[in-house]
Parts: sequence; structure tokens; C-alpha cells
Amino acid sequence: MSTRHLVDPALLPLIDAMPPMVLSDASLPMIRAALPAMIKAVPLPDLPVTIGDVMVPSGEGDRTVRCMMLRPDAMADNAPAILHMHGGGHVLGMPEMNAGTLMHWADALGCLILSVDYRLSPETRFPGALEDCYAALRWLHGEADHLGIDRARIAVSGESAGGALAAGLALLARDRGEFAIAFQHLEQPRLDDRTATSPVPNPHTGEFVWTRQSSHFCWIAQLGKEPGGDDTSPYAAPARATDLSGLPRTFIAVGALDLFVDECLEYAHRLIRAGVPTELHVYPGCMHGFGMARDSAPARRAQADNLAALRAAFSL
Amino acid sequence: MTTRHLVDPEVLPALEAFPSLNATRETLPAMRAAMEPVLKGAPVPDLPVDAQEIHIPSPEGHQVRAIVLRPEGLTAAAPALLHVHGGAYIIGVPEMSVPELTATAHQLGIVILSVDYRLAPEHPYPAGIEDCYTALAYLHDNADALGIDAARIAVMGESAGGGLAASLALLARDRGTYPLAFQLLDAPMMDDRTCVRPRNPVTGEFIFGPADNHFGWSCLLDAEPGGPDVSPYAAAARATQLEGLPPTLIATGALDLFLDENVDYAMRLIAAGVATELHIYPGCPHGYVIAADAAVSRRALADKRAALARALAIV
Repeated sequence: MSTRHLVDPALLPLIDAMPPMVLSDASLPMIRAALPAMIKAVPLPDLPVTIGDVMVPSGEGDRTVRCMMLRPDAMADNAPAILHMHGGGHVLGMPEMNAGTLMHWADALGCLILSVDYRLSPETRFPGALEDCYAALRWLHGEADHLGIDRARIAVSGESAGGALAAGLALLARDRGEFAIAFQHLEQPRLDDRTATSPVPNPHTGEFVWTRQSSHFCWIAQLGKEPGGDDTSPYAAPARATDLSGLPRTFIAVGALDLFVDECLEYAHRLIRAGVPTELHVYPGCMHGFGMARDSAPARRAQADNLAALRAAFSL
Repeated sequence: MTTRHLVDPEVLPALEAFPSLNATRETLPAMRAAMEPVLKGAPVPDLPVDAQEIHIPSPEGHQVRAIVLRPEGLTAAAPALLHVHGGAYIIGVPEMSVPELTATAHQLGIVILSVDYRLAPEHPYPAGIEDCYTALAYLHDNADALGIDAARIAVMGESAGGGLAASLALLARDRGTYPLAFQLLDAPMMDDRTCVRPRNPVTGEFIFGPADNHFGWSCLLDAEPGGPDVSPYAAAARATQLEGLPPTLIATGALDLFLDENVDYAMRLIAAGVATELHIYPGCPHGYVIAADAAVSRRALADKRAALARALAIV
């Protein structure tokens, strides 16, 4: 059964234009190799935001973690900040994929944004990427005065696998108790490794853009073993956390046809029960990655909701 | 544990000023008598919208009162909205929603019919839902005379009205005569089993709590809530088949007593292949929109109207 009839008509051109992509050991190097040219092909908006690289100490020897930093030219002092994690199944991607969107955010919110070029799997298994993100959080806190940002208004944000890292980082930061996070902004986050192995999959999710099969491949790449086992860390799959209390206020957005919709609803529901202020938006007729159809009505709506939520979280 | 610290600070003062319901069968008549002038007296915005009271003959032989709101100067075949007010199945009148609905009709250019369905406990299930069905049939059967497009009729309700709207969508699907294009369920009271399930620790502290819920359901069902054999046309969450329902928006507050039943219904609609939008507003207990000027209330209202505009193909 196809779910094509459930797709918002404005998004059909996107799924028709996308080559059927199944991630595998064979396809991964090709997709990675093609990515820089795809990124370059999209022009950046003309906005008064400066983009540059910073090298953040990893905390492990001399190794550094590259981050893309965006700073509005007219940023006020003591500005809020977003620590951003890109998507790509934990196996591909780079901060530059989101440069255009993040420029808009930095400009609209007057905030500093740091997007982490975390290490990818399978070369680096869990928890390598998460520790890279933690290093970036440590750096933001340590350099806050110098950067002119407000330590009390640092948000984490990510989409897809980046949403998993953002949610995992929020758990890790809560548990280590060193660095505060004011807000977690999770777009179509991948939260639960058990979705990839569920014996009763939701029949209306995961047909387009991001499939169970690709997800399964990525979990193996990240964990180095079959997902769905007894001992997956909550820092890898935040849905595995048994206690969600004390997490920062949360925004979760996901499409109704997204492979991750069930885990997102459940996570939001559990956050609420745990007393975490939580906003959830499920967009009808939207599959994973629908934001790529940048000019479509659903993507514009989701983008407006993103900005409204960030603005509210930063009390702007 | 109090959840006061979780409430949106802009919403809190209005909630704390709101008297708790604490209704019983003995106090209900006096409560209605005290509330209805207040509810009916809300100022209606001065907009070019014609309001008319009508009485629709029901198949049972009684008349179902309704308010019809029609923007002036409508061209033919406007979309229509059947509205069902809230009030725990035991109180309320269409007039309490007329100010908001007048603005909605004006902004979207749609005809709105708000139905004065019969209330429990005097009229337990299925009196209320059948009155809603009578109103839906009226809209369809008189579409040409009313100048509405029968293919673009949505149903919308808040609280108990949301429960009735959801049940009406089920009933309309199952009877197969009068299709609905969309259901907008605003914090719907849709599952009597919430009365007998373990409490969610963060929901139901303000405005509408478990005791009110238990009383409302007891009146509607004329039985203890949570029992066997409750009809899905009384409590929509009891439906086992959600396939074939119209596209849906469920909007609810994170601190609303109905959060759990609303999230569960949304998940089941999605799994049933129904186009479903869900929005949970943080820091919002049931009835938070009485803080009409709070940013979240304005956003929720704008979201509802935008969803109606999309669903009814209004450009």
C-alpha cells in the first residue's frame, strides 16, 4: 500500500524529484561524495550575518571539533545562542547543509548559532558524535562573555539525527550538571532505535525520503550492533531514558507521515507528564524532510512555527 | 503536586479568577441560570455578519435551535462550519461562542451554524449527538438555499463540543449520507475512561478537573463512566475503527485534563491513515483561551482559523 494519497499535494514535487535512496555500505560513500556539490548549488541568502569556522577543543588531547558559527552583524550584547546539530542519519551531512536556514534564524532572532561538524558513523561510533556536541556546548559556556552571549539562553536544536543529538545532549547536560541548556528544539528527531525493529510498524509512516530500512542501517552504523536491544543508551536513543524530569522546555515538530511520528508523540507526551513545558506540532500530509521543499506552504508554516517557538523560548 | 509553575504566566491570572465548576445534579440548574446571562451577554464584534436564530425540525419531532452566522455579501457556494459549543455536556449555549465565531465567519467568508443541542442530565446520550446530526443534515439538505458548498462542510467543537464533533464525524461516516470535509477538535472531551484511569500528574488542575469530568460523563451516559459498552457516538475514543474519517486538527493544552485522550486519538488517526494535524500548546490547562489576550491564545486561535482555511480551500 502506498501513502502517496496522504501526501500534501504541495510536497509531491519533492518526493517525485528525489531519487529513491536507500542507505547502505555501497551507497553511503557516493552520497557523501555528492553532498558538497549539492550544497554549493544552493545560493545563500543575502543577509547581514557573518559565517565562519571555529575550532573547538574536544577535550581529548589536541583534537578539535570544527563548528560553523553564524553571527548577525548587528547582534546585541548578551544575545541568545543556538547550538545546532545537522541531520543525515548520523552517517552523513555537515553544518553547511543548513547554512541558509540558520542564516535566517540568526538574522530573525538576533542570536549566535554554532553548528557542530560532529564525527560521523560508522567510522566513529556512539558516543563520539555526542561528545563532540558536548565539547561545543562546553565551549559556548566557556566563551560566553567573549562571544557576547547569554549563558542562560542557550538552546540546542537539531533535525532528524541532529534532533537525536540535541535531545541526547539535553539528557547528558542534565545528568552531568555542568552546563545549562534553556530550550531543546527538535525537528523530526529520531529518538528511538526500537522503531527500526518494530514488529508492528505504523502502516502510514516511513514510505518517503526516510525509510525503516535506511534508519535500520544508520542505527547499526551508530551503535555498532543491531538496534532494539536491551542496552541502548538513552544518550543515543533519548526515548530509552526512563526519567525525563528536569529537561529544558521543549519544542517538537514532525510530519504525520514521518517514520518518527510515533516516537515524537510519545516523547512529547512523556515530557509533559514529567513536568517539562512542551510544545508539539504534527503536520498533516508531511513526510520526513518536507522542509526541503522550502517554498511549499507546509515548509513555510513549519519554519514560522520554528521561529515563533525559538522567539518565545528566548523571551524576545 | 501543584502544576501552577508549569502554567503560562500570561494565562494564569484568568485561570485563577475562574470559579471552579463543582457541579452536582442539585446545583446545576442554579449554575446554568447564573451563567447563561453572562455567556449570552458577551459583546459581539461589530462586523458585517448577519446572525439569525433558526429552529430545525428533528426526526424525533422536536425543534433544534441554532444560530446561523453569515457574512454579508457572500457569493454562492461558500464553505460552511457546523459548530458545537463546550460545557461538559451539561451547560452552555451557542451564544457563548458567537463573538469568536462572528470574527471567524467574517475572516474566512464562511457560513457558521452553531447548534443548541440538548444537554444532559435531562437529555442523556444520544439526544445531543442526534441534535448535532440534525443540524448537519439541515446544512446538507438546504445547501443550495443557504448558499453553501455541501462538499466543504467542516465540524468544529471545543471541550464537550469537540467530543460531539468527533462523534458526529464517526456517525456521519457510518450513516454515509452527509459527508464532512474536516473535523476540528479543540481540547475534545472524548473518552469517559479518563475518569477511571490513573491520573496524569500534570493535567487537570485548573478550570476542569477529574470531579467535573466524572460528573459530566455520568450525566451524559446516565451511568458510571468507564463501564463496558459505551458507544463511540457518546465517547469517540471508544471507536475501534478510525479509517475513513475526515482530515483532522486536534489542538490541546499540555496541562489539559484531556491531553492523554487527545494524543492517543491523534496517534490512532495517523495510524489509520487519516490526515491529522496535532498541536499541543505548552503551559496551557483546559479553557486557557479565556485569557484571550495571552500570546498563546491568540496563536491558537490563528492556528485554528488557518487550519479551517486550508481544509475548506479558502484562499
